[in-house]
Amino acid sequence: MKWMYQDVQAFQNAKEYIDTAVIPLVPYTFKGEVDIKKFAFQSEVMNIFMSQIEKQLKGRVFLLPSYYYIKTDSLEPHYQQLNETVDHLHNHQFKHVLLFSFDKQWRKFMKDLHGELVWLPAMKEQDLNQVETQQVIQSHIGDIEDLIKEQWKS
Amino acid sequence: MSEKKNNQVSRRTFLNYTLTGVGGFMGAAMVAPMVGMAVDPLLQADGEGDFVYVMDEDEITEEPQRKTFTIDQEDGWYESQAERVAWIFRDGNGDILALSPICTHLGCIVDWGVQDDHPDQFYCPCHDGRYDKDGVNIPGTPPTEPLHVYEQRVDDGRLYLGRANPR
Repeated sequence: MKWMYQDVQAFQNAKEYIDTAVIPLVPYTFKGEVDIKKFAFQSEVMNIFMSQIEKQLKGRVFLLPSYYYIKTDSLEPHYQQLNETVDHLHNHQFKHVLLFSFDKQWRKFMKDLHGELVWLPAMKEQDLNQVETQQVIQSHIGDIEDLIKEQWKS
Repeated sequence: MSEKKNNQVSRRTFLNYTLTGVGGFMGAAMVAPMVGMAVDPLLQADGEGDFVYVMDEDEITEEPQRKTFTIDQEDGWYESQAERVAWIFRDGNGDILALSPICTHLGCIVDWGVQDDHPDQFYCPCHDGRYDKDGVNIPGTPPTEPLHVYEQRVDDGRLYLGRANPR
């Protein structure tokens, strides 16, 4: 399910089946020649990951709008805001709240976050239209899917 | 002098008129196709889906095989290429059956033969929905109708698939 009119209606009719919320945590910046490209690429990859996961597991996973933040040295102000979001979801029947990010800074907050943080190693920037890249991405998606299914069993 | 000016079109006025005219035409030429494109989805009837080549007939086995193919999709305002998946096999009567992998419960993607307990069934990982080999939902599991079946056409030993329909 996605945050869209049609999906939300389907969600309302099948609430008891959709117990998993997924939020991508996506940094961005306009500072630095390297970072601007790096984060844009990572954001693109994250979009592919999330939309594919949503497609595969549509009937149980709700993909929420991404949490975007400006990349700074500290995530302190963000994690509290994020926890409020996670609490809101927990209060509305989402049993599993998974937070996906390439940003390793989040790992410092792993214990303090109310949701389950899934840190993914970032890929090097490359052409997303190339067959090899797509195969790598496809295998990552398979791994993420397995991870979510594991989470369901726990 | 001033009288003469009133009766004649000055060079400046002439140029103004001409440029406005030509500019108007150019503008219209640019805008017309855009309007056409924007309104197009409204005008077009939802036609018969096209058939796409998927595999050769002699490659089809009794064991379901997962095949992907690409179709042109019109999704509201956007036209794009979309990937479709079909599980293709010969059923007990020897007929070709091409099943959609989209679970009829809530739309997850089912897989074939992944469960040790039920090796000859389609399985949905989201809520343990199951279907027999012909795609018929197993009572007691969440799905309430069988997997959808692709329209098929065999031409010169080649299998073409169309859209997936409920049974």
